[in-house]
Amino acid sequence: MAENNVILEAKGIYKSFSGVSVLQDVHFSVDRGEVHALMGENGAGKSTLIKIITGVYSKDQGQIYWEGKPVEINNYQDCQKLGVACIYQELSVIPPLTVAQNVFLGREPRKAGKIIDYKKMNQMTQELIDKYEFPLKPTTVVDNLGIGQRQLIEILKGLSQNSKLLIMDEPTASLSGKEAEMLFKIINTLRKQGVSIIYISHRLEEVYMLSDRLTILRDGKNAALLEKHEIIPAKVIETMIGKVVDESSGSKKMLQSKGGDVRLDVRGLTDKTDRFRNISFQVHKGEILGFGGLIGAGRTELVRAIYGIDKPISGEVYLDGEKMVNPSPKKSIDMGIGFVPEDRRNHGFIPLLSTTKNVALTNYDILKKNGLAVSDKDELDMSKRAIQAIDIRPSDPDKQVGVMSGGNQQKVVLGKWLMRDLRLLIVDEPTAGIDVGAKDEIYSILEDLASKGVAVIVVTSDLQELLRVSHRILVMRKGDIVKEFKNEVVTQSMVLSAGQGVTEDKEAAE
Amino acid sequence: MKNINWSKYSKPIILVAFCVILTILRPTTFPTVSNIANVLWSVSVIGIMVCGTIFVFLVGGIDLSIATLCGFSAVVVVEVIHMFGDTTMGVFVGILAAIGVGALAGCVHGLIITTFNIPAFLVTFATQSVFLGLSMVITNNKIVSCTAPAAFTAIGSMKILGFPLPIYFMIVIAVLSWFVLRKTVFGRWIYAVGGNPAASEISGINVKRATILCYVFSGMTTAIGGIVLASMTRQAMAATGSGYTNDVITAGVIGGVSLLGGVGTVPGAIFGAVLMGLLNNGLNLLSVPSTHAGLVKGLVIIIAVGFDAMQHRDQSRKKSGFAFFKKKNA
Repeated sequence: MAENNVILEAKGIYKSFSGVSVLQDVHFSVDRGEVHALMGENGAGKSTLIKIITGVYSKDQGQIYWEGKPVEINNYQDCQKLGVACIYQELSVIPPLTVAQNVFLGREPRKAGKIIDYKKMNQMTQELIDKYEFPLKPTTVVDNLGIGQRQLIEILKGLSQNSKLLIMDEPTASLSGKEAEMLFKIINTLRKQGVSIIYISHRLEEVYMLSDRLTILRDGKNAALLEKHEIIPAKVIETMIGKVVDESSGSKKMLQSKGGDVRLDVRGLTDKTDRFRNISFQVHKGEILGFGGLIGAGRTELVRAIYGIDKPISGEVYLDGEKMVNPSPKKSIDMGIGFVPEDRRNHGFIPLLSTTKNVALTNYDILKKNGLAVSDKDELDMSKRAIQAIDIRPSDPDKQVGVMSGGNQQKVVLGKWLMRDLRLLIVDEPTAGIDVGAKDEIYSILEDLASKGVAVIVVTSDLQELLRVSHRILVMRKGDIVKEFKNEVVTQSMVLSAGQGVTEDKEAAE
Repeated sequence: MKNINWSKYSKPIILVAFCVILTILRPTTFPTVSNIANVLWSVSVIGIMVCGTIFVFLVGGIDLSIATLCGFSAVVVVEVIHMFGDTTMGVFVGILAAIGVGALAGCVHGLIITTFNIPAFLVTFATQSVFLGLSMVITNNKIVSCTAPAAFTAIGSMKILGFPLPIYFMIVIAVLSWFVLRKTVFGRWIYAVGGNPAASEISGINVKRATILCYVFSGMTTAIGGIVLASMTRQAMAATGSGYTNDVITAGVIGGVSLLGGVGTVPGAIFGAVLMGLLNNGLNLLSVPSTHAGLVKGLVIIIAVGFDAMQHRDQSRKKSGFAFFKKKNA
């Protein structure tokens, strides 16, 4: 490609935090109208690189060039002025305002000096929407929109400031399949209009589908720069983690029912606010039961109710034939149920506390006591066992969990359940935002538990993951179980279709 | 690669530095047993109360009613002693009644805060007025003096080995609080609840009950503070303990207790109380006019809090509070 076609280039970037090197001699360049994917395991330096480009961190060494000229980016305003917009994972739209009000927040067009010209603002927003074919209306109040559409507003906001480069960090992490498709369509339109995109994602299939080029970082260094035709799944994964992982089997699977006696028996469970209704199913000993469906299908609400966080209005839950009366998390834990929540950051762990204290949190009933005092030694031993069992890094048991990478935080959340005798483990989106290597480790933990007779329920929106781990699959849609797959070959599209209420050959009427 | 974590020792260093400076400046009046005993005696009430309120701070709450609850329990103990004709029996009943009132007040705080999901700030802001009002009604807004029996006056002023009793009370309560927070399962729960209530609930902790217990304990130590204060001054009135809310919160904050919850230790809080005592004592010995004392104290708090904020700036924290119980949409 011609040199003048490069919009952003970072050369020889070095960065270290308190003596620990995070980026070493990293090169990264983006062409005009290119979707350039950035991949790497957690801790590989992706976020740090992006934060240097957007001026959140200062670099130790190196130079950034914008359209061929060297630039200094000291804060986010600097990078906005150049024409870079970051689409944040944690969205910053304001719900009570309209789409147009959000897009032009702080930059509202005026008339007669001070008064906001709403007509003009809506018109300008409409022009943008038309140009890039966004499925939005300027006057819709954001409160009524889903997370996918809110993300589009963020993108629109960037475009309204004439951004030439958009940075998307895990944009599909919280989107349903349909919303993600909408986003992909927009990304393709943007590319055609000459907008460049840095696309960071752990979801390989998205990267193959969307990106023109792919930069892979490993341990803070450039591991590879691949052109579109060079992006081969096995090769990418190998480059990223430096070992071979079995992910290729993810699009299709022969399901085989496993397990012995019925462990969990759910009968007619119905939610107070109708987010799921009359749900009945069973899980067997040693079985991994996968729950598929779109976000908002009621799966998270269902498992929360089974674990005893939310109270259902009717229905019964039996564990090994014993009825669960007045369920609560405490009772569930006492009965041998473990739970890994969907929202890791808010519900999963205590950020200020160490690995030791987080791992011990559910296990004080089995830790030794000297009189009233918990044995510090026993607590520490347990933490060390957990660190070793699932390879938590850093391996320092006193490390605050809040400052760890997502993958290791999840290992801490999961690790505490491995320290006790479980009968049933419920995991909700176990690998969201986690790198491939850690994903694989988590899958083997689940498989290992199942082989020991633990019943496992996995709720996941990652189809590859669903097929990878499940022995049997239930698909939910709008609060009902709509499909069961067992002892048959199942593909991603079959699960997706069931979740969206579409049968393979004909569209079901709404 | 392990470097010494100086911030861990910053508190003892500051304390020693303070003492050294005062010793150099006032070599005859500062480093005497009676002066040190005096400093500790003057902070013992704050020390006793902060050992309980630290529980409330740790679960992310606050108690603005400390001062008036302290006053109310002082009034209760003195009135009960008078009811029993200034007998030793009356002292026992009075102490139990005052501590009971403190526990009950804390229980009410905890219940209102957790049941109706009202911020602790508002609840205790309202009850401070309630306690003040109760004291005024009972005392008719007059000073009630109490100079007998000896069992009562001894609480605040009897000396053992040259140190007044309240210092020993402070030490005993501090050790008890430290043990509960540092050693027991309940203590671990408090830090967890303060750090992330939603995650704690999912981990099987009864967040509501733990929170209520923290307020109960805080009410009890506040009441003990009130009893000691009444004995020290040999009187009680609605205004007994006024200003103590600020002092207790200040001691906690200087001692590194986070008002956002989840961070803080009993030794830290006691350090905060003692440092305040030393500060007052130093200003006094250096003949700084009392008109300037408030100014100096305020600046010290800002420095302490600023220092703390700098240390914790990079630490991630995420709080969701009691919203977990209400909000359920994913």
